[in-house]
Amino acid sequence: MITRFLAGGLERRINILLAILVAAAVLVPVLHLAVPASSPLHMPTYVVALVGKYLTYALLALALDLVWGFCGILSLGHAAFFALGGYAMGMYLMRQIGARSVYGNPDLPDFMVFLNWKELPWFWHGFDHFWFAMLMVMAVPGLLAFVFGWFAFRSRITGVYLSIITQALTYALMLAFFRNNMGFGGNNGLTDFKDILGFNIQADATRSALFAASALALALGVLVTSALVRSKYGKLLIAARDAESRMRFLGYRPENIKLFAFTLSAVMAGIAGALYVPQVGIINPGEFAPANSIEVVVWTAVGGRGTIIGPIIGALLVNGGKSWFTGALPELWLFALGALFIATTLFLPKGIVGAWEEWWKQRRERDGRAPMMSARNPIESPAE
Amino acid sequence: MSAKTTTSILYLDGVSVSFDGFRAINNLSLVLEPGEMRAIIGPNGAGKTTMMDIITGKTRPDEGEVFFDGRVDLTKHDESEIAMLGIGRKFQKPTVFESHTVEDNLVLALAGPRKAIPALFHRQTKAERERIDEILQTIRLTARRDELAAALSHGQKQWLEIGMLLAQDPKLLLVDEPVAGMTDAETEETARLLREIAQTRSVIVVEHDMQFVRELDVKVTCLHEGTVLAEGSLDQVSGDSRVIEVYLGR
Amino acid sequence: MPVLRIFRLIFILIAVMAGPARADDAALRTMLNGLANADGFAAIEKIVGDIAATGDPKAERALGALSSGDLYVRKADKTVLIGKSKTGGYVLSDPLTGDVAGEAKRSEVEKIKVNNTLRRVVREALGGLTLASVDPRARLNAAETIFKSGDPHAIPTLDAAIARETDPAVKERLMEARASATLKAQAPVAETTAALETIAGRGDREALSLLKSYEAGAQGELKDAAGAAIAKIEQTLALWAAGQNVWYGISLGSVLLLAAVGLAITFGVMGVINMAHGEMVMIGAYTTFVVQDLIRQYSPDLFDWSLPIALPLAFLVSAGVGLIIERGIIRFLYGRPLETLLATWGVSLVLQQTVRSLFGPTNREVGNPSWMSGAFQLGELTITWNRLWIVVFALIVFALLLYVLNRTALGLQMRAVTQNRRMASSMGIRTPWIDAMTFALGSGIAGIAGVALSQIDNVSPDLGQGYIIDSFMVVVFGGVGNLWGTLVGAFTLGVLNKFLEPYAGAVLGKIAVLILIILFIQKRPRGLFALKGRAVEA
Ligand SMILES: Nc1ncnc2c1ncn2[C@@H]1O[C@H](COP(=O)(O)OP(=O)(O)OP(=O)(O)O)[C@@H](O)[C@H]1O
Ligand SMILES: [Mg+2]
Repeated sequence: MITRFLAGGLERRINILLAILVAAAVLVPVLHLAVPASSPLHMPTYVVALVGKYLTYALLALALDLVWGFCGILSLGHAAFFALGGYAMGMYLMRQIGARSVYGNPDLPDFMVFLNWKELPWFWHGFDHFWFAMLMVMAVPGLLAFVFGWFAFRSRITGVYLSIITQALTYALMLAFFRNNMGFGGNNGLTDFKDILGFNIQADATRSALFAASALALALGVLVTSALVRSKYGKLLIAARDAESRMRFLGYRPENIKLFAFTLSAVMAGIAGALYVPQVGIINPGEFAPANSIEVVVWTAVGGRGTIIGPIIGALLVNGGKSWFTGALPELWLFALGALFIATTLFLPKGIVGAWEEWWKQRRERDGRAPMMSARNPIESPAE
Repeated sequence: MSAKTTTSILYLDGVSVSFDGFRAINNLSLVLEPGEMRAIIGPNGAGKTTMMDIITGKTRPDEGEVFFDGRVDLTKHDESEIAMLGIGRKFQKPTVFESHTVEDNLVLALAGPRKAIPALFHRQTKAERERIDEILQTIRLTARRDELAAALSHGQKQWLEIGMLLAQDPKLLLVDEPVAGMTDAETEETARLLREIAQTRSVIVVEHDMQFVRELDVKVTCLHEGTVLAEGSLDQVSGDSRVIEVYLGR
Repeated sequence: MPVLRIFRLIFILIAVMAGPARADDAALRTMLNGLANADGFAAIEKIVGDIAATGDPKAERALGALSSGDLYVRKADKTVLIGKSKTGGYVLSDPLTGDVAGEAKRSEVEKIKVNNTLRRVVREALGGLTLASVDPRARLNAAETIFKSGDPHAIPTLDAAIARETDPAVKERLMEARASATLKAQAPVAETTAALETIAGRGDREALSLLKSYEAGAQGELKDAAGAAIAKIEQTLALWAAGQNVWYGISLGSVLLLAAVGLAITFGVMGVINMAHGEMVMIGAYTTFVVQDLIRQYSPDLFDWSLPIALPLAFLVSAGVGLIIERGIIRFLYGRPLETLLATWGVSLVLQQTVRSLFGPTNREVGNPSWMSGAFQLGELTITWNRLWIVVFALIVFALLLYVLNRTALGLQMRAVTQNRRMASSMGIRTPWIDAMTFALGSGIAGIAGVALSQIDNVSPDLGQGYIIDSFMVVVFGGVGNLWGTLVGAFTLGVLNKFLEPYAGAVLGKIAVLILIILFIQKRPRGLFALKGRAVEA
């Protein structure tokens, strides 16, 4: 049944994307590790780390697109799920440091020694085990999203109200994680990681492996999301976006439809965060900042919401641009980002992918061929 | 509960509801027998749509009884539960899933499980496909099955919505102003369609178009200020002096 | 020193009016001159006590000089005089009248030495003396001094003072001072109990510490009575503390109200999500900065007028920026709230960065005019002037806005457009113009909020970011589209926040409030004062 579900979502564009991702997962490590540094084909460490980070951003954008593009829930708090996944991974990595920390305490992370804590708080137990940490990477964001969504969707909170309270959620979490006595390292967060699953986290091979894992995770995300939106459930998602009350009078429960997508999306965001942390080497409360969540929204909007490849293209382009700007013209970056927000909403409401599709459709119509049935592509102006 | 409730498909007794002190429905009583079609007329703001809101669980009455199928207390259920009990509704303003194709609109309306997870693995059966073809025929949208619902004309949207009601296969249909914005020919078609539907189901139709109501040729209830003003055949009702006074005009 | 001069005047007046009192001068003088022969601090202390017992205000000058070390004995005639040092010697003056009494070389006089204990005794004695002053403020202070020291010797003086006191407030203080002295005097049980009650009735921190030290030394029945009195005071103080929290809450609420009320217009009335709202506030604050800067450069005298000057300017600048945003961006996005949200977020980034490039990333100094600085005491409450003015200002802004919306043609047209755009436009209202004006109004209000907030917050490019979430919370909590809801919402959240703070700390308190709001919105998705009807369901 599962395979049928997954196979049901395949389409040419998605196939190409999947092929690229899998190829990258294989090729990049080869170019990084096996090709000598002198060769022009060699991929330097910082590029691997940078692109690996972008891939986790892309997964985050895809997660947001699932709820925003397909279901009309504009979450302004998705960075919170990302950060929670990241913290779960960070806690595992902290436990791996053991006695190699500055204070050399084998039982307690440095910041707890610094705070004069005597024993590990209960919620840190279990994070010595990789499997447990991975479970938490998915369970914590998933559970938070489930509880939050259960309340919010049941009360029929929609549109901007929902956006505003998701923003309040991530803001509250940020304030909480900034507190030292929360037990998550206060504003320094978790850092100074040594190794993951026994491998040195700085080593080239580990970086390559993390890159490959990110690419494959994104590929899996694409596979699941596209299968999801093509199933009958996907149609329900779009229906809930467009005419919630119609759905209700047909006997559906839009709140449950939304809740499933919201929770799944949070889990995807959590996984993205867990892959992000070992590649950048730090997680701190700044990741919860409301501005971060909104940036994810602009990646998705630029690429094209309501499509699968849109958010991925958007995340890669915007972050590539950001890296270039912060290197070349740092003071102009915020102008550029701000202008991007404005320009996208005014001139590219369907994003790059949407605009391209429209152009393609028009060209085919001009060529006198039968109009393409874009009807199957659910990106028509969603009612909000 | 009186004896009537055991046999009637819909039973409203002494229902009242007010919004901020304004009584939109005032001690309304109405009984619908199984298989019956009823036309409801009345001036703007008479409470016709609000009555449907109450039956479908959108609005909770302040007082009064609302029973379906002789035993189910509708005031204890919400919209989705009531829909699953077998009450379908067409809105006054046509409401379809605009970014879905005509066919997908029907697929979503088709009777069947309504849960999220089964929907993930759902595959269309042959029976379902046939049923959809059949409905498309009935609502004359076969040629446009792959087009987005947003592209349909106002009248066609009305029909699609009626088609969705059919796909839902309810016992009781509530149809709010189905012919608003339709040509005379379309209106006639709709009347025929509704009569056909009413052969197997109970129907309540709200409409201002008197010609249409005449074509339906069923018992008529006239609402005014939230209560029943007159009830009977169209001729009886339209002869009632109070109905002429408040609604039809002299 | 003017104070001294006033005192002298008062003394002369008293001397003139109280003719018969002249007879006592001799006795007082004898006592004073006794100081010349006094041997050791104990003897001096006794004389001071005797002088104090006369309750004669004329002794004040002498005692004051004694405690400041300005009282001398002229060796030649063993008289006690006040000496002010000048080069090579002293100018002498009479200790009672203050008349100049010649000069003396250093060797001709001897200083009457005092130590700290003695200084205290003198201070207390002075307290007793000023009880007879004609200035009620001086009497009040004297009563306060005795209350703190609780000198049992002062009782007779106090009784006399109470008997002739006419000012009820001073009388109450005197009674309290007497009660305090009674505690120290080992008085009979009944009297002490009554004294305890009097002190408890005062209900402030001083009374509390007095009672606590008494309780520590007391026994049996009296200890219980003191305990009861302490409990009573603690209760009063808890009430005051609650009152202080309410005040802090109102103060925070007024800040929230200022920040949110402009949003209540753009979001509440127009349905436009303006994420750049905080930046409008920030622009208002920077306008204040520029105004103050110019005033400092060109006309420092006007500094106290800087805020009244900045207010209209801030309104115009922010309203102008708002107008540009509305005409340039938002008008293309009506009916698409989520897109508006994103575009205005972009605007906020651009505005922040612009201000950062113009004024630098660091905080800018905005000063408080004199009438905005300082604080005053109200019972046990400390109220700072700037907070008080901001509360008043917020309420005025709110009232003005209410007036504009409900009583002016613009307000009527605004409401018409927001309720039914098509109908309004077909009735000849120029809807685009109204949209622009409404948005400019909301932005301008944010600008004048910025003027007020510049007085209590750091003026930096991220000033607005700190308020945006709170403002939205206020509007959503209060009920969108309802100005009164915004008012109640702002003050409720402000007070709630400040009441949670003592238990949970500032950060946790804030988190708790956010969570409470999130939960509240679940219960009442349309806020405290929801608009009802079908329009909002669409
Ligand atoms: N949710 C609501 N809140 C406030 N008032 C409401 C609400 N629903 C209905 N009303 C009021 O109740 C009255 C009855 O409205 P209703 O829509 O039922 O009339 P109607 O008979 O369907 O009229 P029409 O023929 O114009 O469709 C109207 O005055 C309407 O404004
Ligand atoms: Mg109606």
